[in-house]
Parts: sequence; C-alpha cells; structure tokens
Amino acid sequence: MATQTESESSGGGVLMRDRLVKRVGEVAAGGFVLAIGGLLAWILSTQVDYSLLASPLIARRFAEAFFLVVQIVVISSLLSVSLGVLVGLGRISTSNVTGRIAKGYVEFFRGTPLLFQLFVIYFGVPRLWATGEFPFTDWAIPAAIIGLTLNHGAYVGEAIRGGIDAVPNGQMEAARSLGMSRVMALRQVVLPQAWRNALAAIGNDQIILVKDTSLLTVIAVPEIMSVFRNINSNQLDPWTPLVWVCVLYLAITMSMSQLVNGLERRSDWGSDSRMFGRLSGLGSGDDDGGEEA
Amino acid sequence: MDENRAVNRRQYLTAVGASGLAATAGCIGGGGGGGETITIGSDIPYAPFEYRNEAGDLIGFDVEIAEAVFAEQLDMDYEFQETSFDGIIASLNNANFRVIMSAMTINESRAERVDFSDPYFTAYQTVLLLEGSDIGSREDLQGTSVGVQRGTTGEAAAEDLQEDFGGDLQIESYDQINGAFDALLNNQVDAVINDNTVSASFAAENEEVVFLEGDGVAADRDDAPPYLTLTIEEYGIAFRQDDDDFREEVNGALATIRENGTYEEIYNEYFDG
Repeated sequence: MATQTESESSGGGVLMRDRLVKRVGEVAAGGFVLAIGGLLAWILSTQVDYSLLASPLIARRFAEAFFLVVQIVVISSLLSVSLGVLVGLGRISTSNVTGRIAKGYVEFFRGTPLLFQLFVIYFGVPRLWATGEFPFTDWAIPAAIIGLTLNHGAYVGEAIRGGIDAVPNGQMEAARSLGMSRVMALRQVVLPQAWRNALAAIGNDQIILVKDTSLLTVIAVPEIMSVFRNINSNQLDPWTPLVWVCVLYLAITMSMSQLVNGLERRSDWGSDSRMFGRLSGLGSGDDDGGEEA
Repeated sequence: MDENRAVNRRQYLTAVGASGLAATAGCIGGGGGGGETITIGSDIPYAPFEYRNEAGDLIGFDVEIAEAVFAEQLDMDYEFQETSFDGIIASLNNANFRVIMSAMTINESRAERVDFSDPYFTAYQTVLLLEGSDIGSREDLQGTSVGVQRGTTGEAAAEDLQEDFGGDLQIESYDQINGAFDALLNNQVDAVINDNTVSASFAAENEEVVFLEGDGVAADRDDAPPYLTLTIEEYGIAFRQDDDDFREEVNGALATIRENGTYEEIYNEYFDG
C-alpha cells in the first residue's frame, strides 16, 4: 500500500495528492476506531460487572438522578435562554448605563468558575442569615438552578449579541428608512435573523449546561455523578457505574443536539417574520416531530 | 511539647504535587530503609486528624503519628498527598501512594480491598445538632435530613439508620466534612453524623452546635463519650494487600510508640487527655 501511494504522489499532480491525503485520513480514522473499539470491547468484557449493571437497585438510583438532572436542565435552560436574550439586548442598548451593566454581568459570570458561583450561592448566601435561620431548607436544587441560569445567561447573552452584530447594518437602516422605530425594526427585522445566527452557539452552550450539572455533586444534589461516586465507594467498582453515567449523559446531550439541529433546520426555511411564530409553537409539539427530542 | 520539635516535624511535610508522582514511583516495591520516601494518601481537611494551620502547614493527630512511626521509628521520609475520601482506596490500589492515613475506620468491606495496620485510635459515630433542635433521641431522627461526608463510615451509619427507619431519612452527602457542617449551620440538614472527635472540634468552635445526648452502643465502655454513640470504630493505616512486610514494620513501630509514651504525648496534645 505504501508503494502504491508513493507512486501516485510522485507521478500525479495536485488531484493525486488530494487522494493521498484522503487515504491517509481514512487510515488514521479507521485506526482510531479500531483502537477505541478494541479498548471499549476489552473494558466491557472484562471490567464491567453485568449483574451489578442490571441490578434494579442501581438502575432505580440512576433513574432518579437522571430525571432530577433532566428537570434541572429543562428549567435552567428555559431561564438561561430567556435571561440571555435580555442580556444580549442590554449589550446592544443605546443607553450607556444598560450596556455597561450588561457588560459587567457578562464579565463576572463568564469570568468566574461556575463552581465558585455555586459555592457562593449554596454555602455563602445562607450564611447572611443567623445560624439556623435561613428560610429555605432544601436550598441545593434552587441554588443549582440559580447558578446554572446566571452562568449560562451570560454565555447565551454573548451569543445573542454576536448574532445581532452579524446582521448587516443595512437591515436596520432599511427598516428605519421605511419608518419603523428602532425597537420595531429590532423585533421584526434584526432579531429573527440574529436568532438564526446565534442558534448554533446557544445550542452549544446548552449542551455545556447539561454537562455542568455534574458539578452539582459538590453541593449535595443527588445527581448522576453523586450516584456514581456512592456506588464506586461502596462497591469499589468504577467501570460498572461509569457505563451508566456515560449512557445517561449522552441520552440528554444527544437529544439536545437533535433539538438544536431541528431548530436550525426550521430557522433556515421560509420567511423570517413567521419564524418566531413557529418557534413559539414548539412547546405544544404541533406538526412534525423533529423537535421532540 | 516544645515548639522546636513541632517545627522539626513540619519540615518533613513537603508540598504535594509534581513530586508526588516521582515519590510514588520510587517507593513501589521493597520494604523499609533509610532515605526512602513514603507517600501517604489523606483526605484533608479532617480536623483534628489532618488539617492545615493558618500558615498552610499540615498538622494533626495522623500527621504526628506518621512523624513518629515513619520518621522516628523507621527512619524514612514521608509526605502527605491530598485525595478525596470516596476514592481513596482505589487510589491506594492504583499506586498513587503507599499507605492511607486518613482517620480511616477498619471495616470488613474495606478490608476486602486493603490490609489494615493494628488499630491506632478508637472513634464513635455521633450526631451533631443545632442548639434548640427538636431532635432529642435516635428515634427522633426519623423523617429528618442528615449531612455526612461521602464515602465515610458516617455515611454508612446514616444508611443503616435509613434502613432502620424504612427509608424515612434523607441523607445529604458532601465532598468534605466541612460541607456537612456548613449545611447544618445553613439549615440545609437537621443533623450531621460523623466521628466524635472531629465533630467535637467543630462543636468547640460553634456554640450553637451540640451533640445529641443519650446512651448509645458505647454506653457501657469506660472511655465512652458523654453523648449518643451510633457505632464504635477503630482507625487503622491502610496498605495494599501485597505490602505485608512493610505493614509488619509499621505495626512494630506503632507498638513501640505506645510503649515509649510518644503516642500518649501526641494523644494528649490533640484530645486533652
């Protein structure tokens, strides 16, 4: 095979070299799949305890953690995207005050680790009350949702701002010249296009939000990693619960990519003015199943 | 204990980090011997067993016992490596360190994976509450939420209670014991189940925090603490299962420091006799 590719590259022109590059890529990718596949097969056949894996006790605990994570993700997602739209609009505000406050918000929540923010909210905030006086006794999950929302609201805000910046100025100018107010032009002309521009970045961020729920283990939220850690420390078997962890996270993140892909496809069709109407119909699961991930 | 000696001890406690790996590689295989560095895995902080003072120096009962056993008796260097308690046995067996000294209770399930030294400390699982709590007995814990540290025998004791109560006990597991203590102060849990001496050192610093009173499993022991005890446990130094020679040497050293008064001196320093 080496001799074949050599003769091709020495005798041929640019096209032949392209083929060489393509073949090398295929060999590398194939080798990668073989190596990973072999390693996985070896782990799954020697390291995983299948009676433990299928044990109803463990399945139930992971299922509980999974549904808790799904609930936290859905609520934090909706809140962080809503907050992000407001932050994005604040960033492009013609008011200096609003713009600077939005910028400060983004700098803080994007510039400090989510773990730090969770510690502030979960361990710090309750200490502002006297010992034992903090009124919320199950603060872990509210703290988690607040932390994820504030943190990802900053990222979504930047994605929205980027989406708005990417809409050519001519769009706004044309709308204004037709007599629209700035707000009306934003709503009818600029934002629908900005949304489309920002969708990929927002989707990316929301998938990161799913994975960020794993940090909640340190504030005693009984999420997926907590179940793993408990089983690993009791059974002293890392690989079996790791299989569960992997499958459950991928189940959420892959559904989420499907949802984002569906949204992106929809926002590419038809006229922009109708797009928001279609998007707002998403929750009721109206016509096709593309978004029901 | 005079101050000079304490400083001397601390000189051995080098920072953890890059040196850990090299030291671990150096100490795999072979028994004792001068100049060898023993890496000790430990979940820090867990006052008064292993914690840092304001200057960041590692101190505590385990640290001083390590000094007495490894440095003074066995003529070895040693260093502590911080690790999280819930993965500490796996880390030992993965050769990340040579032994575990982390106020670790000897129990059957752990003994399946590691070998323990002779016991060097007796501890009890106890219940901490906020002053004025409605909880007045072990039975009152039913239907409440308790904070524990992940992977500890405190968590195991809470799980046993949960089973006794037919599942009617909420267990919140924190990475470090301080998280559980914070949760108690912050009204997130009604009680904390943990080793008596560690809880006592926290209670000593917070006047709102008290032990749950009552006669527990240790009630008829002479040295029993004056509050409810859920279990009686003994701490041991954990070794990999192929490390018998070294374990025997350490057992010998532990016996020696009990005989020559060093153990008592250290004990009195941390637990007021």
